Amino acid sequence: MITFFRHAFILAAKDTRIFWRDRFGLVLAFLFPLLFAFAFSHALEDGGPPAAAPRLTVVAHEQHGVLREIWAGLAASGWAVDERTRQEAVDAVENGEIEGFLLFPEGFSTSVTTGGETRIHVVVSGNHPAAEAVLQGVARAVGGRVETLALAARAVGALRPARPPDAEAMLEALRLPPLTSLEVTRTGQRRYNPANFTLPGYLTMFVFFAAALGAGAIVRERQTRTLERLMSTGVRAPSILAGKFLSGAGRGVAQLAVLWTVGVLGLSMDLGASPGAVVVVSLLFVLVSAAFGVMLAVMVDNLRSAATIGVFASLTLAPLGGCWWPLFIAPEWLQVLARLTPHGWANDAFNRLMLFGASASDVAPAMLALVMFASVFGAIALLRFRFSPPI
Amino acid sequence: METYLEAEGLTKYFDGVAAVEDVSFVIRRKEIFGLLGPNGAGKTTTIRMLSTVLAPDAGDVCVGGHSVVREGDEVRKRIGICPQELALYPELSAVDNLVFFGRMAGLSGREATARARAVLAGVGLEARGNEVVKKYSGGMQRRVNIGIALMNRPELLFLDEPTVGIDPQSRNHIFETVLALRAEGTTVLYTTHYMEEADRLCDRIGVMDRGRIVAVDTPAELKRQVGDPDQTTLEEVFLHLTGRSLRD
Repeated sequence: MITFFRHAFILAAKDTRIFWRDRFGLVLAFLFPLLFAFAFSHALEDGGPPAAAPRLTVVAHEQHGVLREIWAGLAASGWAVDERTRQEAVDAVENGEIEGFLLFPEGFSTSVTTGGETRIHVVVSGNHPAAEAVLQGVARAVGGRVETLALAARAVGALRPARPPDAEAMLEALRLPPLTSLEVTRTGQRRYNPANFTLPGYLTMFVFFAAALGAGAIVRERQTRTLERLMSTGVRAPSILAGKFLSGAGRGVAQLAVLWTVGVLGLSMDLGASPGAVVVVSLLFVLVSAAFGVMLAVMVDNLRSAATIGVFASLTLAPLGGCWWPLFIAPEWLQVLARLTPHGWANDAFNRLMLFGASASDVAPAMLALVMFASVFGAIALLRFRFSPPI
Repeated sequence: METYLEAEGLTKYFDGVAAVEDVSFVIRRKEIFGLLGPNGAGKTTTIRMLSTVLAPDAGDVCVGGHSVVREGDEVRKRIGICPQELALYPELSAVDNLVFFGRMAGLSGREATARARAVLAGVGLEARGNEVVKKYSGGMQRRVNIGIALMNRPELLFLDEPTVGIDPQSRNHIFETVLALRAEGTTVLYTTHYMEEADRLCDRIGVMDRGRIVAVDTPAELKRQVGDPDQTTLEEVFLHLTGRSLRD
């Protein structure tokens, strides 16, 4: 057993040394994913959600000071008030431009300042229950404040029945900015940073790509007879496979270290509530990739086949597995298909952890799936190597 | 002289076709044994069986008293292989190549480094041992290829066409290295297509054709079988034994 590990580690150290001297390999492993992540993160940043205030459409049939104060209060609470005519607002709801609006009826201000009854109408499309809830909340908040005005007006009227209240004077006396105390809080939403899904995507793609292309190393050893030379020194096939696996895994870990570090420091990535789980998922994906590389190496006969299959597998599995776009915006059939790829499980876990605040236990199924992928690839490699013709 | 290697009835089939069939011969300790034959004669397959890389379908080989079939590990400790391909890592330096193979053969890091320096001196590369091999000339790369086979101080060295495609100076250096190894007690199995090379170096020669051994003797005796040994070349002997038809 000691000899097994000794051979594996010496072989892995040799491959690692060769890797660090391979400029193209370094560019592919480190520079390409960073370039892609930087480019797409910045490109997507411009198309992100606007930082403007949420828009609230209102319809009023008068231009009284009470309404002006309500608009000002809403603006102070963070709303962008969009005043329209009733017909314009109805048309906008019907053509889907807006989801609903608040309607302040004719005589609203007079009723408020004289202590009479009035209503605020919430008009909303039937397909938008969330918008309805928001508009009702705003209406209640506004209603609560104007209720104060109405009560004051009634009190003045009761105390001085001979002299009706001066609406402007009452308003001035009761002015408490902001008029409403509505506070809009965005829940379930983080600061929008495209790097949080572009970098994990390109990381999985290029870790797998580098491992798949690493399959050529074993094929080259077979072609140049260095493998035969190793076997003639008494090195066993499992040691050679373990060495190749270790070197592939070592490469992947180096990629992780560089890409995550640059991502966090250079792209302000947020690893979410469970950064440890992000690291575990990353390491498991490295193991899957290294196992795939070894499996591919023992299944092909020459360098061209290794390169062709490696590139094909990498470029097919990457989009299927959500490396190029987040899986949660993909159609359902693609999300199902992604479950057949290790990339899909890894990216789904990264998205959950880094975008939606999931915990380690939430991504446990993904971790298990990655372990299974690595085991299957490793088992196939061992079986194929054992039963392949002597080398 | 004491027998060091004894092959008995070695046979190997590939896809039902005999690549080597019932091959038997002996190599004596401290001799340089040449294995000659046209392309496809079965030389490389024979060497692969002698060196434990390929399991024979029939027959066995005894190396230093150990069976290749049953005691592969014991045999491996005693042999060094220099394949005709440059079986090394061009991206690494000569020292790194030698140390790597030395460590895989069981040497410690310190032992491998010391041995690598000694081997490099032996093959005339001590001054450039730290350069990456891909910057070497063909002859220098061939010498590194031989050096790797010497890292574990083999009792039996397999040299499979070690002088292909190199200049006369490098070839001469390799001859001197091989002769020095024999003087130190190493037994050598040497294959080549250059007849004058075999004539100059080898104590005895085995000629293979179509998977079989067709003659084994000293160069002088082989020449005598064809004509006047002073007037006959080894190439004439070779053509006499294997024919003049082209081989694939």
